[in-house]
Amino acid sequence: MFRTVMIANRGEIALRIIRACHGLGVRTVVAHSEADRDAPWLDEADLGVCVGGARADRSYLNADAILQAAEQTDCQAIHPGYGFLAENALFAARCEQQGITFIGPTARSIRLMGDKASAKRTMAEAGLPTIPGSDGALSGVDDAREIARQVGFPVLLKASAGGGGKGMRRCETEALLEEAFQQASLEAEKAFGDASLYLEKLITAGRHIEFQILCDAFGDAVHLGERECSIQRKHQKLVEESPSPIVSAEERRQLGTMAAQAVARVGYRGVGTVEFLRDPAGTFYFMEMNTRLQVEHPVTEMITGIDLVAEQLRVAANVPLTLQQDAIEFAGHAIEFRINAEDPDQGFKPDPGEIISFAAPEVELDDVRVRWDSAIRDGYRIPPHYDSMVGKLIVHGPDREAALRGSVQALNSLGLEGICTTAGFHLRLLAAPAFREGTYDIDFLASGDLVGG
Amino acid sequence: MAKVILEPIGEAREQSFRDDVWQAQREQMERHNQELQIKRDWVRDGWGKKYRERVRAKGKLTTWDRIDRLKDEDSPVLPIGTLVNYGRTFGPDERTSPGAGVVTAFARVHGRWVVVIANDNTVASGSWWPQTPEKIQRAQEIGLRMRLPVVYLVDCSGLFLPEQSNTFPGRMGAGAIFRMNSLLSAAGVPQIAGVHGDCIAGGGYMPIISDVVYMTEQAYMVIAGAALIKGAKSSQISSLTIGGPDVHVHLSRCADHRVPDDVVLLKRVREEISKLPSPACDYYRYGAEAAQPRFDADEMNGLFPTDHRMGFDVRQLLARLVDNSLFWEVLPHNGLEMICGVGRVNGLYTGFIANNPELTDHPAAGNVKRPGGILYREGIAKISQFSRTCNDDGIPIVWLQDISGFDIGVEAEKQGLLGYGSNLIYTNSSNEVPMITVLLRKCSGAGYYAMAGLPYRPVLQLATPITRLSVMEGRTLAIGAFRTKLDDNFNVIAENEGEAEKIRQGMQDVEQRIEGDMDPVLAAARRDVDEIVKPSELRPYLEAAVSMAYQAAGYRRMKNPRIWAMHDLSVLTR
Repeated sequence: MFRTVMIANRGEIALRIIRACHGLGVRTVVAHSEADRDAPWLDEADLGVCVGGARADRSYLNADAILQAAEQTDCQAIHPGYGFLAENALFAARCEQQGITFIGPTARSIRLMGDKASAKRTMAEAGLPTIPGSDGALSGVDDAREIARQVGFPVLLKASAGGGGKGMRRCETEALLEEAFQQASLEAEKAFGDASLYLEKLITAGRHIEFQILCDAFGDAVHLGERECSIQRKHQKLVEESPSPIVSAEERRQLGTMAAQAVARVGYRGVGTVEFLRDPAGTFYFMEMNTRLQVEHPVTEMITGIDLVAEQLRVAANVPLTLQQDAIEFAGHAIEFRINAEDPDQGFKPDPGEIISFAAPEVELDDVRVRWDSAIRDGYRIPPHYDSMVGKLIVHGPDREAALRGSVQALNSLGLEGICTTAGFHLRLLAAPAFREGTYDIDFLASGDLVGG
Repeated sequence: MAKVILEPIGEAREQSFRDDVWQAQREQMERHNQELQIKRDWVRDGWGKKYRERVRAKGKLTTWDRIDRLKDEDSPVLPIGTLVNYGRTFGPDERTSPGAGVVTAFARVHGRWVVVIANDNTVASGSWWPQTPEKIQRAQEIGLRMRLPVVYLVDCSGLFLPEQSNTFPGRMGAGAIFRMNSLLSAAGVPQIAGVHGDCIAGGGYMPIISDVVYMTEQAYMVIAGAALIKGAKSSQISSLTIGGPDVHVHLSRCADHRVPDDVVLLKRVREEISKLPSPACDYYRYGAEAAQPRFDADEMNGLFPTDHRMGFDVRQLLARLVDNSLFWEVLPHNGLEMICGVGRVNGLYTGFIANNPELTDHPAAGNVKRPGGILYREGIAKISQFSRTCNDDGIPIVWLQDISGFDIGVEAEKQGLLGYGSNLIYTNSSNEVPMITVLLRKCSGAGYYAMAGLPYRPVLQLATPITRLSVMEGRTLAIGAFRTKLDDNFNVIAENEGEAEKIRQGMQDVEQRIEGDMDPVLAAARRDVDEIVKPSELRPYLEAAVSMAYQAAGYRRMKNPRIWAMHDLSVLTR
């Protein structure tokens, strides 16, 4: 196992990784920006190293500074967390050439799966069903028209190099295709420097179901069940739960195994998430793969009892997987609520400010556990330079009913004074029938009244 | 720390070039590229459609079809010697010899790079013209030096007889092809031959020394054709009856296997190659991926000014030749007129030595600047030591030439540049590591030699469409020829305007004549460069050449990076 690991991230995930490292007897060096000099998570690190200015591109994205810091503090490995450099193939390649282990997949895997079109092709070759559409990037609007005719309207044009909703356009009819194509290309070029698009049949009322996969460096892989993440606002997840209310045990077994094998087949290593879209008829289509640890990993940890960050470290240290698929059990139900410093009544406008006081959430129900993943303290001022996440509230119960009841209690007990948070929004969500019954889909938030402003 | 740490190099072209400059440079280069493509297409056409149809009417494939089937689907075909004999005609009929009637190219078969030597059966039945033997030997030489399997696709009626005095007797004549066959075999380099058609005399001898020979049903190999045999007509014997597969596969055993046709033959040849050792490239990547540069290969076409007198940032060029655009510049503070360092190409370590065409500081007189594209003492010493170190470590070297020559004058002579230059020549002459020379723009005089020009036996010498190769620039020659008529600053001294005009005209004539000499197509036609490539093709050719340099393990020194002499060099000169 590594003696010292550098953590090139911040906030709750930095703290999460610090604690996992210490659990394995690993020393931690945390790279931070000037704006995070007095950050709460640094209190638990063995060493903090300032790597640059407040702006992310000067610090958390500053590969040169991070690599130099890792060298100078004798780190054997770097954990990139999520976001920032976590899916940067060039950074992974530079770590490896210096003999610093990048805790994640190889540069080649990141590149292969990072390109949406090549990922889709790769997974299709492995037998995963994919959304009917173009095979790779479109050569032009005529290509788009021909394929759209084949798969049927409505269609979705998406940026090959993108994500997060940019460079994406719905198109209901053929007459609107040309304009949608031009607009999407332009936006893709601006956002990602790459105008290429691919086309898919648009699936409405779909549900976002993703599978957690864990692979070692020897070609062995297991799946750790699925998470449902259909509660999204503008392609940003707000709530995740596991298991999904709509996935049967047999579907879990089949899809999970297929996903694990597909991922192992391409030489993947570490944790990864294979995302599917389930259409109303019950067909699951591969969407994309995330080659990093995800924000919502705690729900999987709560139902399997497996520490995903510890597993990441083991895999990176070339320890073969000891987990056997048939020994992995999925117990109970877990739901995660992202608590962001945003005002849900003002269009979720960010509200960075000082947390005057905070009280950790509690629950007084038997068999219901609460987990609060956060790195704040009384008097902590949320810097405006980064995302607005305050913490993740995860509730686990013996079944979904219990988890829902526990969630209400936990959210009500969460005290965060001084800032607006999305806690109130989550309580409204918990009261919505579609959510209570587990019949919601990916269009639920957009179509309803829950999002004010 | 004996680590090889490569750092990012280069910038996106939007940050380093103004849009209008970029556009202009691209357009100029595109014009050159198109002219080159026209010539390539002409060569590719062979003697034309009629001849292709003749070949197909016989149930045979054309040469290029054969190469297409031989190679892996995802493999490029990288020819050399495409323009040999370009612009030459032979005999009173003024026949042309496109590509000297033979295709020599690199391609991958079952992942292994091989050298393919395939007679062009649409050009005089694949016979040998002046320079055909030399072109074939060059391909064989590369196979021998880098231990690459050589595949002969023989369809060759022997010497083109009207020109036999130019191809038969010489030291590098047709006979030397068989000598190279022998040397390849003696060195244990695999050779596989496919016999596709009428192979007479030289053509008959060509396959024999190969390790394994396949013949199609319509192929024959004969020392002399039936036409020269007494009584052949009355006994109705043909070349096929005396030299076809019935005789050679079963009776004489000059061939090993018979196959029905070209298609099956190529399948079999592929199978033979799959039995050979796998390429060692992945072993020598030391776990790195084979990655593309961060910038588009196409950008190479607009990167540098076509006017050789204008400078450019050669680091931008390097950024588009190395994986991930990562580079370790070695000795960056010495000999600023040269850039040298290590990058990866296709995941494999490669040394680069390039001229810096821009002005640099004089090492002694701080505020004086010296023009680039010239070798001064410090630059010579730097690249000399770098070349020796790469050779020590087994790192293949890519020389990127854009040089007008050595420094001249009082200081240069006193410092003994003759000596420093000779030291460099000695090093390159005795190097065993594979060297690849790329003539980017101007390549003059001693500079061309110093930077491993063809006489110094690089395994490959590539040119671009704007290469200028000559002993000196036209203007320099004109100045030399008219020196008595020029003053200190090389301005014309004359009694009157009329005389001055005459002198200027005279100088211009001299310049223009040498300009003509510098056309890279002439060099390619004479085999003074192996191939003219478009700038955007440099990276694919380098990927192939570097992979070929690492493919065969066990024949040359390849030190693991932690014990490179390069680290000592870097530490001692920090």
